[in-house]
Amino acid sequence: MKTNFTLCLAFLLAMPVHAAKLGMPFDAPKSYESECASCHIAYPPALMAQKNWQNIMSGLDKHFGTDASIDANAQSEITQWLVKNAAIKQKYSALAPGNRITKSAWFIREHDEVRADVWKREGVKSAANCLACHADASTGGFSESNIRIPAK
Amino acid sequence: MLKRFVLFLGVLTSMNLAFSATPQELLKAYEAQASKGVSTRGEQFFTNKHGKEWRCASCHDLPPTHDSKHIVTGKVIKPLSPNSNPDRFSDHAKVEKWFKRNCHDVLGRECDAQEKADVLAWLMTVK
Repeated sequence: MKTNFTLCLAFLLAMPVHAAKLGMPFDAPKSYESECASCHIAYPPALMAQKNWQNIMSGLDKHFGTDASIDANAQSEITQWLVKNAAIKQKYSALAPGNRITKSAWFIREHDEVRADVWKREGVKSAANCLACHADASTGGFSESNIRIPAK
Repeated sequence: MLKRFVLFLGVLTSMNLAFSATPQELLKAYEAQASKGVSTRGEQFFTNKHGKEWRCASCHDLPPTHDSKHIVTGKVIKPLSPNSNPDRFSDHAKVEKWFKRNCHDVLGRECDAQEKADVLAWLMTVK
């Protein structure tokens, strides 16, 4: 009985760690937050292929219509970390068109029930704005049970 | 030994000076490369478009005294005025990085020292 209890406890303790690991790795360099997550959320690297991240990091001066250039040290630190943690699962590792997470086959499939007008709502603005509907997106949480779509 | 310690302290202090700053110090540094910052001109600069689609206020809002949203991604941006947000204009390298990025987006070129002095002079008056 006591062993069972200990096992249960160990399982419960281990669970959130496991869940979080699927989203955002714990070893994100500080520069990822300060350099990348000022204009958009810190996207979990596992959502896109290595090659996509390499493309993005080598063209930061023309980053989806903006200049997102950063210094050489931060650039190499972030690139290494993104590449190390890029998609492994087959679902996410196909090359995303235009290096956009939102254009990847899995993203389109997962969001196929979201109507066109929902994306245009003021509270959403852009498919890149994960936080609009996924409250835990910044920490890599995209659970179906934690989705709230803004009414406006 | 003591000498070494004093030297170490000296290095630490100078490092600190290199990284942290006040809005007043930054304004002075920009003015030294140009002329006095004019806040009315800074307000115009911040409010108007400069040949491209975005203006400073597109993401920072008017007045930039409250949380605003990035025009594309919707991500919350903390207030830009140092009166509302003491983190702003407290780190020289960070300020230069963002002027470079955002001036490219708004003007298609880097801002000069006069433009930076004007905008900062105005932001320091915004409450």
